[in-house]
This record gives sequence, structure tokens and C-alpha cells, in this order.
Amino acid sequence: MSLLELNNLTVSYGPIKALHGITIRVEEGELVSLLGANGAGKSTTLRSISRLIPILEGDILFNGKSILNLTAYQIVSLGISHVPEGRGIFPSLTVMENLELSSWTVKDKKKIKHNLSRIFSIFPRLEERKNQLAGTLSGGEQQMLAVGRAMMTDCRLMLLDEPSMGLSPLLVKEVFKVLKEINNSGTTILLVEQNANMALKIADRGYVIENGRIALEGPAEHLMQDKRVKEAYFGKEKK
Amino acid sequence: MEIIIQQLINAVQLGAVYALIALGYSMVYGIIRLINFAHGDIFMVGAFIGFLLAVKFKLPFVFILLLTMFLTALLGIAIERIAYHKLRNAHRMSLVITALGVGTFLENLVRLAVGPQTRQIPAQLSNNILHLTNGIVVTEDKLLIIGISIMLMIVLWLFVNKTLIGKAMRAVADNIDVVPLMGINVDMIVSVTFAIGSALAAAGGIFFGQSYSIEPYMGIDLGWKAFIAAVVGGIGSIEGAVVGSFILAGIEVFTVAYLSSNLKNGIAFALLIILLVIWPYGIMGKPSLKKV
Repeated sequence: MSLLELNNLTVSYGPIKALHGITIRVEEGELVSLLGANGAGKSTTLRSISRLIPILEGDILFNGKSILNLTAYQIVSLGISHVPEGRGIFPSLTVMENLELSSWTVKDKKKIKHNLSRIFSIFPRLEERKNQLAGTLSGGEQQMLAVGRAMMTDCRLMLLDEPSMGLSPLLVKEVFKVLKEINNSGTTILLVEQNANMALKIADRGYVIENGRIALEGPAEHLMQDKRVKEAYFGKEKK
Repeated sequence: MEIIIQQLINAVQLGAVYALIALGYSMVYGIIRLINFAHGDIFMVGAFIGFLLAVKFKLPFVFILLLTMFLTALLGIAIERIAYHKLRNAHRMSLVITALGVGTFLENLVRLAVGPQTRQIPAQLSNNILHLTNGIVVTEDKLLIIGISIMLMIVLWLFVNKTLIGKAMRAVADNIDVVPLMGINVDMIVSVTFAIGSALAAAGGIFFGQSYSIEPYMGIDLGWKAFIAAVVGGIGSIEGAVVGSFILAGIEVFTVAYLSSNLKNGIAFALLIILLVIWPYGIMGKPSLKKV
């Protein structure tokens, strides 16, 4: 049984179909990258898993159970955490308050403390700035805070929407290194990225989504060698 | 000098009532960007619930206050659930018109239930005169009202800044779309906000009714003033609502004392317009900056 299964998922925004029946599986412990161009349906996929948008057809199973009849906030207590596009931190709350809030569903005080010290050991910058307003952080620090917040929810599955957006290449490297570490310590990750190169480097498997359909899938190293992926993504890389 | 201090005490008392109403305006606006124009009428309903509890059940003051705050909080939650909830993502104008409708409904409901005449909440607090220094006198009830109001504001400030639910309220104000991703039920937070805002307005209603008579349309005038106080202070800001309320009350009281009661509203609002020209977002308000 996969940790996450999207079966024939169809989503539309009004009359426009955004996803035409996509099927994705994520096994426990995996890091899976979902690649695609702007508007291909990557964010829509994550937003449907988080139950932020209604689903037309198909099913989403988490840990073998359908989560279609749950609302967004109930998903978090199941163990799914979504780091949204643009990070979505709360700018007028302090770093600490941002982290505290995301432990809302965790009842065990010891676990909260443990998670917090783990986050601070991975992101020492956040500890240095814990009493600072989150809105005053740099883009990279805000991304760290967004990932830290997801860790505070004590999740089994972390969904990340373009964590590299707006970051310098150096910071992107740092963030991806941390994501790999988090994955290695047992958290399953589904990563949405336009930066195909970086995303495939740390991934076990990948999916390529085009116009709301899965165009390619396979082990990350295969996708990296694939002609179509190379042409579509690596050719366009600015570096 | 004595007269100035005497008037200052009056201004603080009136300002406290304004602030208790203005806080609800500001908090609700802060989290769902709704100017809840029914809020002045919630204040009025609070005053009448207090009136009924005092006249029919002859409860002691503390129970009247707490029970009224509780019942009015339920009313606030019900109004949000019934009238505003479905419109959360609708055009703001639809919400404002709905709020005006809810206000008119409450006015007429109370008028139907108790009649249009003015009433007096029987005095609940002793109005023994206390002699402070230099011939300044103040009645006990005034001091008590000011004291309880300030205490309520401090409790609110602590709640919003120190508790997890309070932090969630501020998070909703910051970015309502992301809050569910933290596992937080936004509807619950919105309900809590309406409950607190309505309970504070109810306390304001009872305090107002200790010094003035009450009638079903009293919420219109006071609601507007509290709303304006909230805007001048910086709508969305708790501290701003309190500051704006005391400024408005101060201007009103001193205009009546030294100029003319006819000029009260004219001068008060002229000065408020000037304040808004200087601080377009209100004294404590911030322009909404969103970092991408």
C-alpha cells in the first residue's frame, strides 16, 4: 500500500479542466518530484491533496483511506503538511509564533519541544531570529520558516510547492540539501518544482506533468537522461 | 484645573464605552475584512439583555454583566453563521449590505419585542460620591465602569497576544488562506472573534445603560462613532481602536464643556477628518503590504 495515491484525479476551475485524470503514487519514505512548466497543473495537484479545491472525479488515498470527504484543516492531523507556493508565512507574527501555531494539531508537549529543537538544529538562523517578525526575514529565511512550520505539524508526508522560487542558486542548494535530510530521517516528500535539475537530483522518482496529464514517470536518474525532459527543462536553464 | 480633571474622567468613561464597541469592529475587520455594520446593534441588544436581566430577574451586577456578555457572544456567533458565513468569499459589498440588513433586523426585532420607548436600566452600582483630592468628585459607579472596561481591554490584549487561539486570530488576519494548512479550523477562529467582539460590545451596552437611557435605535449613533474611532485609530488594530475611542470621547467631552453641545459632533468629526489626512491608515494602522 502506498502512502499517497492519486487515482485518475480530475479537477476543473469553472469550465476549464486543470487536471485530466492524473494518477500518482508516493511510497512511504520516498522523495518524489513532480515537474512541469508554469500552469501544467503542479500546484493544482498539491492543492487538491490538501483539499483546498474541489475534485471533479477520481480519488485521493492517504495511508489507504480516501480523504475526499475531509476539509483542509483536517488533513493536517492525518499527517499531511503543505508548504504553499510563495511560502505563506504570517508576516506580523514572530518566527516563534509561526512555529507554535503549526503545532496546533500536536497534543504531546514533549513532541512539540523535540520538533522545535530539531528545527533549530537544522536552521540555526531561525533560532537566532525567533523573536523577530517573520515579515522581516529574507526570502531564504522565510522558506526555512515555511519548511520548519511543516516539520512542526509532525507530518508523515510533506508537500512542497516550488521551494526554490525567488531564491539565489546558493540558497536553493541549501534548501534542497535540507529537504533531502528531512527525507532521510523518515518524512515522505512530494516536491513540486520548475527547477527540474535540482528536483531530480535529490528525488527517488519523478513525474512530468503537461497540460494536466502525466506525460512521463520513472526513477529520477532515468528522467534526468530522458531526451524529452532534457529538451523541455535543462535546455531552458539560464545557468 | 478641577474642571479639566473632572471632564477628563467623563471623557475616559465615554471613551471606554466607545472602545468596547470599537474593538469588535476592528477585530472582525482584521480577520475577514468585513465592516460589520450590525455591530452597533449588537451593542444595543446587549444593553437590552442587561435591562431584562436586571428588571425581570433582579440578578446581581456581576451576573448580569457575565450572562449578558455570554448571551450576546452567542448572538454574534449566530449572526456570523447565518448571515455572513456563506458570503466569506463573496464581493465585500455584498457582505456590507448584509451587515446593514442584519442591523436593521435587530433594531426592528427589539422594537417589536419591547416597544420603541426609551428605558432605564435600574442602577446596579452604587453612585456614592467619592471625594478625591482638590475638590474633585467622582461617583463609585463611574470608577468601577472605567476599571472594569480597562481590565477587559487588558484581558483581550493578553488573549490576542499570548494565547494560541489569539495567535491564530492574528494569523487569520495576516493570511486567511494559509491558516487551514496549519491544521487550524478558520471557522472556529472566526466564531471566537465574533463572540469576543459581541461580548465586549454587550459590556459596553450595560455600562452605557448605567448612565444613559436605552432604546432600540441607540446602536446606530454609537455604532457609527465607535466605527469612526476604530478607523481613526487604525482599523484592524486593537490598540488603535482604544486610542481612537479615547481621542473621540475626549474631543466630544471637551467641546461640550468649553464650547457648545451643538458643536459636539461637528468639531469631533472635523478633527477626525484632519487626523485621517495626517494618518491615512489610522494612527496605529499600517498600509497593507504583502510580500510575495
